[in-house]
Amino acid sequence: MSEHVIDVGKRHIKEINEEMQEAAAAGKVIRVVNTLSRHNLGIGLPDGCQISFEGSTGYYCGGLNVGATIDIERNAGWACGEGMSKGHITVGGYAGMSCGAAMMGGTIHVKGDTGPRCGVAMKGGNIVVEGKIGYQSGFMAHSGKIIALGGAGESCADALWEGEIWVAGEIDSLGVDAHAVEPTAEEVAEVDAILDPLGLVDTSREWRKLVSGQRLWYFESRDASAWLMI
Amino acid sequence: MCGIAGRIMQGVGAVGRDLVDLMDAQSHRGADSTGFAIYGAPRDTGYVLRGMGFNKAQMDGDLADFMNVLRDHGSDFLSEPKILSDKNKHYCFRMEIKDPADLTAWVADADTLTDRIEIQSCGRSLEIIKDMGGSSEVADKHGVRDMHGTHGLGHARLATESSVLPNASHPFWARPFSDVAIVHNGQITDYFTWRDKLERQGYRFLTENDSELIAVWVSDQMKAGLTMPQALKKSIGSIDGVFTYMIANPDGIGFAKDRFAMKPLVVIDQDGDLAMATEEQAVRRVFPGECDVINHDGPSLMGLWGVGNRSIAA
Repeated sequence: MSEHVIDVGKRHIKEINEEMQEAAAAGKVIRVVNTLSRHNLGIGLPDGCQISFEGSTGYYCGGLNVGATIDIERNAGWACGEGMSKGHITVGGYAGMSCGAAMMGGTIHVKGDTGPRCGVAMKGGNIVVEGKIGYQSGFMAHSGKIIALGGAGESCADALWEGEIWVAGEIDSLGVDAHAVEPTAEEVAEVDAILDPLGLVDTSREWRKLVSGQRLWYFESRDASAWLMI
Repeated sequence: MCGIAGRIMQGVGAVGRDLVDLMDAQSHRGADSTGFAIYGAPRDTGYVLRGMGFNKAQMDGDLADFMNVLRDHGSDFLSEPKILSDKNKHYCFRMEIKDPADLTAWVADADTLTDRIEIQSCGRSLEIIKDMGGSSEVADKHGVRDMHGTHGLGHARLATESSVLPNASHPFWARPFSDVAIVHNGQITDYFTWRDKLERQGYRFLTENDSELIAVWVSDQMKAGLTMPQALKKSIGSIDGVFTYMIANPDGIGFAKDRFAMKPLVVIDQDGDLAMATEEQAVRRVFPGECDVINHDGPSLMGLWGVGNRSIAA
């Protein structure tokens, strides 16, 4: 497959994204250079598209992904992969706030740490973070898995609905209604099956699986003060 | 949503140009108004004033009244005031004045004229330029790109809590503390209560903007004996709302973030050559090459950057 290089610079974002769509439709492997951390790069990329971004990207990179394989060399700004339904995003460094927000499927693999509210309101798919997940990660996640290999920040799994947060390493504090449970061997095997293609399986890990205490499912207004976290 | 930025140069440099670039990259975050706080080379005596008169038709009379108040306090203009006037009803001024006998007392008297003319910054080195419009528009009108200095702040405003008026733009001066300025991204929910408390102590606020509180609040805490880091830390638990703000004085720039971690701050620090902004793409305008970016994304954070790696913790 031939390569198509896209230079970002100060060009209009619409023109850049249209060029990506055309190159993807022509079956080209895309390399994006001179990104200057611009926002909204690579929105709604199609199934089968292969694209890499040199350096760092701004907000919403890889948002609404429907099956592309996206590689970000360094850091990603806010809400990388927001609303994606299929595909694979790799972030070489740090992923900013709300990484994988409201995603429905696919995998996001972050090699560094993430900012606050990683996987906020996610509805499916997996987020694998080699470093530490930030403050209030998994906030109101409905489904899917966040897997953190390097610990978790404060208020982890706050107001979790039905997703799972797996943490190896220290958790600074648990959020409201978050419960840490001992995973079964079968459940660990499921997580390892997600980590295996990324070469990240390590059987010596001590996992903690965080799930919802389900109090939010049957919200009682007289309990409202419990949800005022500060 | 607003956009904020800071820049610390290694020595005196083209800080105005860099701040305009930082704000141009963030102009989509708020095009109501734009402002800059620039710290030029400090003078030993005398102050630079920046401000606004609200009706250019009465300019001569209002400036004469302003001068009379100055003279009452043993001060005077050191040079002819520079006036910038265009199609708008308001006009902007830059003045150099001799030290008044008592700065606080003079500011209090000068503030009796604020229905007509208002001081928006006073400092040995600080100059605040603010106006309605986007970054390029304000920069072109006021010649901000040509301003040199050691460090400064920038702000693009999307008004959420109060009116769009030329004087309700950021940065805000910590009236009457010379050389202190802030920029703020967010909303302060208990500003009215805090303002009331501070007004009872004699402080004056000239706009209905919630952010105006922060500069005075922090300066008042420091006047009461706290160091800047102590005051910044205290603000996180004391002021309610959503905020990432930066506060500058002649020694450097400090920042504080609220408990909810809602507003970002991105920093590139190359051995004391610093750029800070709401968005990474803004700091990339100053440092386009690949280099480490620090994301201050967590809750309840604060920090300080000194000019020339100077410590401002003391």
